[in-house]
Amino acid sequence: MIAELFLSGIVVWLAGAAASLALWRQPALARRVACGAALGGSLLDLAASSAALFSASPVFIGLPFGNPAFTWAVRLDPLSAFFSVTLAALAAAVSLYSFGYLKEMEGRRNLGAFGFFFNLLLLSVALVFTASNAFFFLVAWEVMALAAYCLVSFEYEKKKARDAGVLFLIMSHAGTGLLLIAFLVLASACGSLDFSSFHLLASRMTPLQQGTVFLLFLFGFGVKAGVVPLHIWIPEAHPVSPSNVSALMSGIVLKTGIYGMARVFFDFYGAPPLWMGTVVLALGVASALLGVLYALMEHDLKRLLAWHSIENIGIILIGFGAALMFRALGQANLAALALIAGLYHTFNHAMFKGLLFMGAGSVVEATHTRNMEKMGGLIRLMPVTALCFLVGAVAISGLPPLNGFVSEWLTYQALLAGFGTTQSLTRLMFPIAGSLLALTAALAAACFVKAFAIPFLALPRSPEAADAREASFTMRAGMTILAVGCVALGLGATWFVPVFDPITQQTLGVRASSALVMAHGWALSPGRPHGGTISLAGMALFFLVAGAAFALPLALRWRRRTVRGPAWDCGLPGLTADNEYTATAFSKPLRMIFSVLYRPRREIQAEYEVSPYYPSAIRFESEIEHPFEKRLYNPLRDRIMAAANRMKGIQAGSINLYLAYIFITLILLLLFGVRG
Amino acid sequence: MLMMPVLDLQFGERIVTLMAALVLVLQIAMVSQRWIVLHIRIFAVQSLFLAMIAATIAWYNHAPHIYIAAVLTLIVKVILVPILFERLVTRMEIHEEIEPIVNVPLSVLIAGGLTLVGYVVAESFYRPDAPGVGHNALAVAISLFLIGFFTMINRRKALTQVLALLSLENGLFLAAISLTYGMPLIVELGIFFDVLVAAMVLGILVYRIRETFESMDVSRLRRLRG
Repeated sequence: MIAELFLSGIVVWLAGAAASLALWRQPALARRVACGAALGGSLLDLAASSAALFSASPVFIGLPFGNPAFTWAVRLDPLSAFFSVTLAALAAAVSLYSFGYLKEMEGRRNLGAFGFFFNLLLLSVALVFTASNAFFFLVAWEVMALAAYCLVSFEYEKKKARDAGVLFLIMSHAGTGLLLIAFLVLASACGSLDFSSFHLLASRMTPLQQGTVFLLFLFGFGVKAGVVPLHIWIPEAHPVSPSNVSALMSGIVLKTGIYGMARVFFDFYGAPPLWMGTVVLALGVASALLGVLYALMEHDLKRLLAWHSIENIGIILIGFGAALMFRALGQANLAALALIAGLYHTFNHAMFKGLLFMGAGSVVEATHTRNMEKMGGLIRLMPVTALCFLVGAVAISGLPPLNGFVSEWLTYQALLAGFGTTQSLTRLMFPIAGSLLALTAALAAACFVKAFAIPFLALPRSPEAADAREASFTMRAGMTILAVGCVALGLGATWFVPVFDPITQQTLGVRASSALVMAHGWALSPGRPHGGTISLAGMALFFLVAGAAFALPLALRWRRRTVRGPAWDCGLPGLTADNEYTATAFSKPLRMIFSVLYRPRREIQAEYEVSPYYPSAIRFESEIEHPFEKRLYNPLRDRIMAAANRMKGIQAGSINLYLAYIFITLILLLLFGVRG
Repeated sequence: MLMMPVLDLQFGERIVTLMAALVLVLQIAMVSQRWIVLHIRIFAVQSLFLAMIAATIAWYNHAPHIYIAAVLTLIVKVILVPILFERLVTRMEIHEEIEPIVNVPLSVLIAGGLTLVGYVVAESFYRPDAPGVGHNALAVAISLFLIGFFTMINRRKALTQVLALLSLENGLFLAAISLTYGMPLIVELGIFFDVLVAAMVLGILVYRIRETFESMDVSRLRRLRG
């Protein structure tokens, strides 16, 4: 039954891809077919993978292709099924949203091609999550990269979109190269490409091999996940792609890297050495903190969200790193707690980041700009979008009672518990990571005050913003589904936690939910003495009752009376949008505090006509430095280009010369073979 | 008594070796050849000998499927490809002779050296007890391959490079039938199909190169370099 559902999902996606490509001359039809197939495939995949998550044994499905050495087979074990559920839930909402979102592109862009790549992306991500051997995994992985590249560069007439696509492709290929080496090392150790034969394999290798394979996988998957310092493609690629693609890229394509890490760290390794967990934890902290710090300085709404993706990947990796460390220290229960925190956050991030990108897409479509400084006052013009965006913003800031809070709380609990598990100096890692995570969460909240208030509150800052119109019905529906999901995953956390039982059972041999869930599902605790306890549903209920008790008498006693008056204008008559607080001004204090990192550069030029007190024009420029581009990637790129130029000498362009190269190589190899 | 040599395996091996030697001589003749038409005809004769080798092996080893390979060689390499190429030569009115990069005496010397390399390499594959047509045929096959490759480097015109490629392929064919009495038939068929398609595609390509660059000289392709 699961196999049939899964396969029909695959077929629907394939058919949707082919049909929308065939219908490219009829954009309206192509759009409906593409989005309908994407939605249908996602729902089928959702059904299949949620059933597989709770099925007693992994579901194995062979596809009718390939040969014995390279089989095309998928396996839905709990870990795969969990990530598939994440994909399918997000993809369903995004597909629904796309019905309305793509309508504006009708006639202007090739929606047939878009539908093809969109369905292909969903299909390949689904296969990445479920592939049962390294060969098939890499095939799906590369198809995914190509489909994502075409979608990122979909607005190809813009140079930025093309450049971002190329950057993504280069980074992605470099990462795949590392993965290929790592898989080959594993395959040569066990003589098979099948994931089931890799199970616990890495722990049987020599420490040097183990470490090498670990680092190869970490950086190979880290590129896709966007771990600092491999993150540079994310803030370029997310803003320029269509917003439904951004939602998928950030929500699920980054998660393929996380899936890869989870698969390798918790399936291929038994009890990894302590340093591995420490490295992952440190990278997670760095990503989280740097991601949010650069997000704060961003005024491009989608770029801001892109930086937050890096932050959230960091939070997920903090959970994973802590889980690895606990495993090395022999604390299976705590490892399960940290792993649950990481996976929970993975799912949450897919929900709220998809929601935020869709909200940003609605706003950008309505105002035709990504610059926050030109928006404003949208809450009155686009109330549903504003409300959904607010839900997403609260969730990503980690505020109760939404889902972001639950997973971050679980991460804190794991980190707080870590200090007492060992006597070595490594235990200092846990409180340090915990406090930096707290800093990250606080900065994220500050950032989303800006990201919500500047576009949605106060007066419109440009005529475009004043003319904005609410998003269409399907777009609102897509956003509302995810907003409801964010609330449900927060309030219903205790009912969601048992979902992770099969995964922790599979990877760590522990079922953690019974220890985590207390008081008949009303409260959540880290499952150890002196840990914190929290009841989100109870808290929500309390505030609901208290709020009602407070508001009801007021509502009953006084008739509603509204008095409108002018705002205080400091004596300057006629407040306009120019007097509003800007995003730049809002983030100024933080720019000062972290100026060591940002190295802000500011330039003011004023032109005077009569007297220096009355400038006729002022030009203001402000920018911050991006150290990784400047100090790591630019020198690297220059070196590579210089080396390539030196190599140009052997590229004479003559066929005879190329043949001679091959010939000489062949002769040398033959003689070498004869001697040896 | 008269039938004896016709059934004697030893005798068959000698016939194969003799014909392989002829094939090698023709290959070296191709290196030194300056006229395109003659080059094509030498190739046809070489392929004919190759088909005969295949037939001989099929006869002495009772491997009927090698006959198919022999017949295919006859049809494709002895008849179809040479006709195709001669028509191409007539249509494009090529009269000038081949201008090799390395001059003819030196080319022949190099070809001799490559034959030596072929023998050295083949020696390491030789097992007295293994089935097969002896190490002479394999050595000739490797030499054919290497000399064909060298000819390809040594030619400027795309058409003559294609001819060199085909004689290189002859070397592969000889290696295959002398080592294993023929690969599985389906592989052989695939290879023949490949050769035919390659010849046709390259024929078209040669035509295109000439149309675009007004010459068949591949060194003009240098302009395509970025």
